Amino acid sequence: MSAGFAAAQHVMPVQPVKSQTVRYVVPTVTLVRDDGKVVSLPQEMNDGRPVLLNFIFTSCGSTCPLMSQVFAQFQRKLGPDARQVHLMSISIDPEEDTPGRLAEYARRFGAGPEWQHYTGTLDASLAAQRAFDIYRGDKMSHVPVTLMRAAPDRPWRRIDGLVTPDDLLREYRQLFASK
Amino acid sequence: MTRTFIASALLASTLFLTCSSSALAVESAASLGQRIYREGVLASGQPVQAEREQGMQIVGPAAACVNCHRRSGLGMKEGRTSIPPVAGSYLFHPRAGTVDDLDLPFVEGMRADRDPYTNETLERAIREGIGADGRRLSYLMPHYTLDDEQLTGLITYLKGLSPGAVPGVSSSMLHFATIITPDADPLERQGVLDVLEKFFLDKNHYVRAESPRLRSSRRMMFKVNRPWQLHVWELTGAAGTWEAQLRAHLAAEPVFAVISGVGGSNWAPVHRFCEAQSLPCLFPNVDAPVVAQNDFDNLYLSKGVLLEAQLIAHDLEEQRQKVPLQRVVQVFRSGDVGSEAAQGLSVALAHDDFTIVNRTLRANAGPRELAAAVHDTRATDVLVLWLRTADVAALGPVPAPLSMVFMSGRMAGLERSPLPAAWRGTARMAYPFDLPEQRRVRVDYPLGWFSIRRIPVVAQQAQTDTWLACGIVSDAINHMADTFVRDYLVERIEEMLEHRVITGYYPRLALAPGQRFASKGGYIVRFAEPSGHKVIALGDWITP
Repeated sequence: MSAGFAAAQHVMPVQPVKSQTVRYVVPTVTLVRDDGKVVSLPQEMNDGRPVLLNFIFTSCGSTCPLMSQVFAQFQRKLGPDARQVHLMSISIDPEEDTPGRLAEYARRFGAGPEWQHYTGTLDASLAAQRAFDIYRGDKMSHVPVTLMRAAPDRPWRRIDGLVTPDDLLREYRQLFASK
Repeated sequence: MTRTFIASALLASTLFLTCSSSALAVESAASLGQRIYREGVLASGQPVQAEREQGMQIVGPAAACVNCHRRSGLGMKEGRTSIPPVAGSYLFHPRAGTVDDLDLPFVEGMRADRDPYTNETLERAIREGIGADGRRLSYLMPHYTLDDEQLTGLITYLKGLSPGAVPGVSSSMLHFATIITPDADPLERQGVLDVLEKFFLDKNHYVRAESPRLRSSRRMMFKVNRPWQLHVWELTGAAGTWEAQLRAHLAAEPVFAVISGVGGSNWAPVHRFCEAQSLPCLFPNVDAPVVAQNDFDNLYLSKGVLLEAQLIAHDLEEQRQKVPLQRVVQVFRSGDVGSEAAQGLSVALAHDDFTIVNRTLRANAGPRELAAAVHDTRATDVLVLWLRTADVAALGPVPAPLSMVFMSGRMAGLERSPLPAAWRGTARMAYPFDLPEQRRVRVDYPLGWFSIRRIPVVAQQAQTDTWLACGIVSDAINHMADTFVRDYLVERIEEMLEHRVITGYYPRLALAPGQRFASKGGYIVRFAEPSGHKVIALGDWITP
């Protein structure tokens, strides 16, 4: 038993990815964008473009950089189509992640103009994390989740686990086709 | 006979040369490995290159092993992912039935049931992501492009990471030091030492007998039974001599870590010493800590007056939307932390088009010079007072043409500041703590603890911070079981601190890899009444 458990913990070459459709209510919280502008979360999400969303923090060592790299790769693979989609990354460590720190983090991943990072008060970040069911008690316990939505009145596609850029692109195209 | 002597001397020197050159080779290989491991940089200065699934490239610092396996090489737990230790002894240990059978200090990600790595299989793991047992490693593990020499360097470094004997740790005692600089406030020094001594006494009160070494891995929180011993390192003389004094103290009294301490206007030599010795220096009482991007060993509860400067800058930028403000006049004494705070505020306001005027008071300047520095103001001026209680108490009337006054809460005594009544209605105080009524319950714990142990409360905030530092270190040591590795202690605190419920003066404390200041924000407050200790917040908690 312990061998099987250990195998699942350490030797899993690819994290199992689970994808499902869920309806979430976007909380009406105020966040601060990486350019310093104070924004409303629903308004940022409801500008007409399809939305891709993840939760990261800039001091994170392993999972977040990988998730951010997947977003960066996704953006590159979309090419000129990237302009039609809005990528959003919300910090789960908002007290440390100032807009300036997030902007620097975005630069490190070559984020294009369609990809914004958000911080704000701890309560606002927690409200967003709870609304999308990604809150796991503290930032070190976070899990990789990617969410996407084709339009404001549509449900969310939730992908648990670390999705590859190609799979994300496939999921995105399916979702967009069904819009 | 002479010839034999010469011959044997020659032989000896050749032998010595051979030995030392191979030792040098190991050392230089390890330092090559250390740069790859910690910085993601090759000996040539070029960034390390690696690749993950689907051709995702990672380069340089992002590819450094330290990001996941940590500086200790003992791995970590992030979410549901457990990153295994890569310190040599954990990679090369022979297969065992259970983790309990391993003669290795316990860490989360350790495994017993796999074949030991060899240099060859380890090279394969690093280059191709294949484990000792021939199976693919986790998707998180990149495949590195390293040549043979670089790999040898890295593996040599990993072998050197293996936990071994640590100074300050014996089977019967854990040694800690606390550091007091000669410019520390004498009252605060006494208050802090009282708390430390009582905490150590309490800790050892429960130790009845020597306990066997802890080796179990059953994820329990252990109460490590070693008694703790405190060494008080009191520095004397000029700051230029402190580092040498500290090295002498450490040589005479090896310690595992430095806990709390009291500084005055200059903590930098102590900070540098801890960094140079890789000695964790945990939460000293200092008004102006050292902010250095890549430092590891020095942890602080907050940035102190440097945080206050950021709070004031944040508030100034907001106030400027409502009131015309042009000049920022800062008053501080030369040689005190106010000069660093003033510098911090100037930097924070660099892009805001303020005229900054710094008025430095000589260290022994009297009330007349203080009055002169404060009173020459204009209608669109902001006065910022980086002054201690004695100066604050000596302030005369509020200067007539003036828009706004800020003051340092830490330096002026927070809500107990002797600020004259005339200033109380206007002065905006930087307050890098939770508000008194909100922190009451959290501070009642240490106050009760002091009261039961008859510790006079002479410097409440510093004593509470000291009690907090002791509690944080104690919890982390308990969670470490017997894995006494200095870097690992720092890493445990980084991970655990966020879970702390009793956080004293702070609404919450949290760290993470690379974060060195546990509380990140504060308020701007003003006195509610012409006398008394009541303050009101002039806005929300700010994290600048």
